[in-house]
Amino acid sequence: MHHTSSPPRRPSVLHIFKIYYPDLFGGTLTVIRDICASLKDAFASSVLTCSRSADRREIIVNDVPVERVRSFGNVMSLPAAPAYPWRLWQKIAEHDLLALHAPFPLADLVFALGFGRNRPLVVHWHADIVTHAGLRWFIEPLMRRTLRRAKAIIVSDRVLVDETPLLREFEDKCHVVPFGIDTSVYDWPKIEPHHVNDRGRLVLACGRLVPYKGYDVLIRAAVNRKFEVWIIGEGAERPRLEQLISELGLGDRVRLLGSVNDCERIKLMCLADVFVMPSITNAETFGLSQLEAMAAGRPVVNTALDTAVPRVARHGMEAITVPPGDAEKLGEAIDALISDPERRRRMGLSARTRAVSRYSAIAFREGMESVYRAAITAPSNEAAPIAEAPRPTGWLDSLRIAAALAWSDMRHRYVRSLLGPFWMSLQMAIVVAVLGSVIGQMSNADMMSRLPMLALSMTAWTFLNSVVLDATTALQNSASLIRDRALPPVIFLLQCTFRQGLFALHNACVPLLLWLLLTPHDLSGALAALPGLSLFVICTFGLSLVLGALATRYRDLKPIIESTLMLAFLASPVIWSSDIINHRSTVMRLNPLTHLFAVWREPLVGGHVDAASIIYVLVALALLLCASVLTLVHLRKAAFWI
Amino acid sequence: MATISLRNVCLDYPLYGAYDFSLKRRLLGHLIREKGEMRIIRAVDNVTIEAEAGARIGLAGPNGSGKSTLLRLIAGVYPPSSGRVAISGNVVPLLGLNAGVNLDFIAEDNIALLLRISGRKPTRAVIDEIWAFTELEERMQRLPLRMFSSGMLMRVLFATATAFPADILLLDEWLSVVDEHFAEKAEQRLQNLVSQAAIVIIASHDQPLLRRTCTSIINLDHGRIASAVAVEPPSPLSFELREKRA
Repeated sequence: MHHTSSPPRRPSVLHIFKIYYPDLFGGTLTVIRDICASLKDAFASSVLTCSRSADRREIIVNDVPVERVRSFGNVMSLPAAPAYPWRLWQKIAEHDLLALHAPFPLADLVFALGFGRNRPLVVHWHADIVTHAGLRWFIEPLMRRTLRRAKAIIVSDRVLVDETPLLREFEDKCHVVPFGIDTSVYDWPKIEPHHVNDRGRLVLACGRLVPYKGYDVLIRAAVNRKFEVWIIGEGAERPRLEQLISELGLGDRVRLLGSVNDCERIKLMCLADVFVMPSITNAETFGLSQLEAMAAGRPVVNTALDTAVPRVARHGMEAITVPPGDAEKLGEAIDALISDPERRRRMGLSARTRAVSRYSAIAFREGMESVYRAAITAPSNEAAPIAEAPRPTGWLDSLRIAAALAWSDMRHRYVRSLLGPFWMSLQMAIVVAVLGSVIGQMSNADMMSRLPMLALSMTAWTFLNSVVLDATTALQNSASLIRDRALPPVIFLLQCTFRQGLFALHNACVPLLLWLLLTPHDLSGALAALPGLSLFVICTFGLSLVLGALATRYRDLKPIIESTLMLAFLASPVIWSSDIINHRSTVMRLNPLTHLFAVWREPLVGGHVDAASIIYVLVALALLLCASVLTLVHLRKAAFWI
Repeated sequence: MATISLRNVCLDYPLYGAYDFSLKRRLLGHLIREKGEMRIIRAVDNVTIEAEAGARIGLAGPNGSGKSTLLRLIAGVYPPSSGRVAISGNVVPLLGLNAGVNLDFIAEDNIALLLRISGRKPTRAVIDEIWAFTELEERMQRLPLRMFSSGMLMRVLFATATAFPADILLLDEWLSVVDEHFAEKAEQRLQNLVSQAAIVIIASHDQPLLRRTCTSIINLDHGRIASAVAVEPPSPLSFELREKRA
C-alpha cells in the first residue's frame, strides 16, 4: 500500500494463457505479444503460463515478465499443470485487470469457483473447443460461468459471435476488435518476386504443424502440379507430414522449413507467389498469417470455414476460397493463380490495401485500450440481479440442489422427534455393544480397545450400504421432479450420497465417544486417513451412480443388489478384522471392499497401507469412473424409465 | 435473447412393459435368440417450431396427442430421437404443479425447497410475499401440507411456481382445481408472467384461455402438427372491459 512513486502508475494486466514464448511460436501468441507491446505505455503487462521446461520459472520475454508454472506434459491439448490454478489465484490480487485468452479450461476452473471476483476480467475469445468436443459437457458450464463474470469479451470478427452458441448468450458483452499488424515492416519495394525466384511458382504456408492446419491437404494438393510448397512452422505433426511427402514422392517440391525468425519470415512472405491457409476446422478463427501475407501483398488461397478466415481475405477479391479438406479444389485454385500473373498482382494489391486500411496496428491498439480501460473503470459490483439468471443445468447448480434436498431430508428427521437422526445413532450404539460382546466371546483379544474401530467400520458400512440402497429407488421416487421440472437425474443420486453423508456424521458420534472413553488419544493417524476416506466416499458415490441407474432401468436388479450387499458385509472385514481370523483368505483378498476399508483404517491405527491395496482401490476407482461416465451419458434417457 | 428452434424433431417413446424392465429376461432372450422387439410409439412426429422472443404459443389437441411430451422435449427431459433442438434462454418448466412437494413437510419448508430447486434463494421476504398471494392464514405456514385441502395446496404451489419471471415459460394444464375467486386472480398473475416472459408455450384444453393468452395456436394430432393458426389480438373493447373488472 505504499505506492508513492511520482509518475502515475500504469494499471497492470495479467495475461492468462496455456503457453507462451519461447516454448512455441504461433498466431495466438503473436496476438498476446502484440497486445503487451502496443499497450506498454498505458498498461504494465505480465503473463502467467505453463511450461514443460524445468529451468527458470520467471523469465523476461520482450520486456514482459513471464511466470511459467511447471507442466508435466499435455493431456487432451491441455497442459497438465496442477499448480497453475493455485498460482493464478495468488496472482489475481496483484493485478488491476485479468485478460484470459480462451479456451483455457484450467483457468476457467479458478473463475468458475468464484475466485478473483473483485478483479475485472476480459476474455479474449480466440477459438471454440473443436478438437476434443467430447469434453464439452464438462467444460462448457465452466466457460459459461467465466463469460458470465467477464466485463467484456473480445473477438476478432463478428462472425464468431454469430456462429458460437455460447457467445450468442453474452452478445451484449462482445466487442469486435480485428487483429492488426504493423504493415510497415513488409515494405520491401526492392524485392520483387522475380528478382529472387523467377520460376514464379513458390507457394508459402505458415503455422504450427498441428492437425487442424490441414497441411496434409496442401501436400496432397501438390501432387501432379508444378508449383513448389514451402511450409514454415514446427509441431508434433512433422514426422507424419514428412512421411506423407516421401510417400507421394514430393521431396523435391515440398519443403518443411521448420521455425523461422521474424525477419526471415517476412522476407519469405514477400518472396512467395501465393500464400495458402489450408486449415480444416473452426479452430482456425482468424488466420493471422494470412493477414501477414496480405500485408506483404500476396494473393491468398484459404478455406470456407465458419470463422473469420474467409472474411479477412475475401473470395474473388483478396483470395480464392475453397472447401476445407478438398485437395483437388485447393490445387486447382493455386494453379489458377500461378498461371495468371496479372490476377496475382491485382489480388496482391487489394490484399495490401485491405491489410493497411482495415487491419492496422493502430486501430487494434486503440480498440484494445478502450476495452481494457472500460473494464477497469466499470463499477465492480457483482450483484447484478438480472445477470444471475438461474440455470439448473450446470453441474455446480446440480450439486447445490442436491445439497439443498439432502439438507431438507435431514431436517425433516428432526421435525417430529427431538433426537432426529440420533435415533439411528442409538441403534448403532446398541448394535456395536452386542456385536462387541459376541466377538469378545469368540476371540480372546482385548475387545475394549477394538470397540471404537468396530463402531467406525459399522458407520462406514452403513453409509455405503444405505447410499447404494437409496440410489436404487431414488430416481423413481423423484419421478415428478425429473419429468415436470426437468431436473437432471444425477441430482437425485447425488442427494443419496449427501443425505447419507449427513446421517453418517450423526452416527460418527458413537465411535467418537468410544474413542474418547476407551483409548489413548492419538490424533496423528486421523490426518493420514483423510485421503483414504475421501477415496472411500468417491467410490461409494460412483457405485451408487452406476447401480442406481442400472436398477432403475432393470427393476429386477434391486433384490440382487440387496442380497449382494448382505453377502459383501459378511465377506468384508467390517465386524471382524483380518487378524481375528489368523490367515488371509482368498475371498477376502479379492474382495475390493477389504481394500477400500484398508486404505483409511490402516493409517488410522497407525499402520501402513499395503501398496497392493492402494493399487487395487485406484484400479477400482478408474473402472468406476469409466462406468460413471457411461452412466451419465445414458442417464439422459432416464426420464423414459421412471 | 431467448429463442426456441425445433427442426423436424421426432421422439420415439419406448413403451417398457413388465418384461422390458427385467435384466434376467433380457439376458435370457439373448441366449435363446428371442426377438427382443421394443414397442415404440412416435410421440412427436416431425415437428418444426421456430419461436423468437415475444411468441406466445398455445398447444391444443385431444388427450395423448403429444402436448406434454413436446413440452418435456423442449424442457430437455427427453432427448429427441432425430432432428435438431436449439434453445437459448432460461427455461422454466411448470408442467406438473405437484412436482417436488413433500406432504410431510410444513408449507414454509416446501416453499423454500421449491425455490431452491429453481435456483432462487428463499428469503423471509420472498416467502412472505408468496404467502400473501395465497390469501391463506398466516399460521397455516407452519402446518404440514398433508393437512391442506387440494385447492389450498394448489394455491400454495401456484403462488410459489409463479413467483419469479422466466425467459421461456412452459405451462401444462393449469388452473383446474382452485375456486373461482382464486382462478381469476391466478389468471391475472399468469397473464402478468406471460407478459414478462420472452417465450411462452401453454398446453391446454381450454380454448378461450389459449385465445386470450396466445398469439398462435398449434393443434396437435398423434404427435404431428395438424394445423397452426394465428390468433388476432383481442379487440380493444373487450380489453377495456377486462381492465375495469380488474
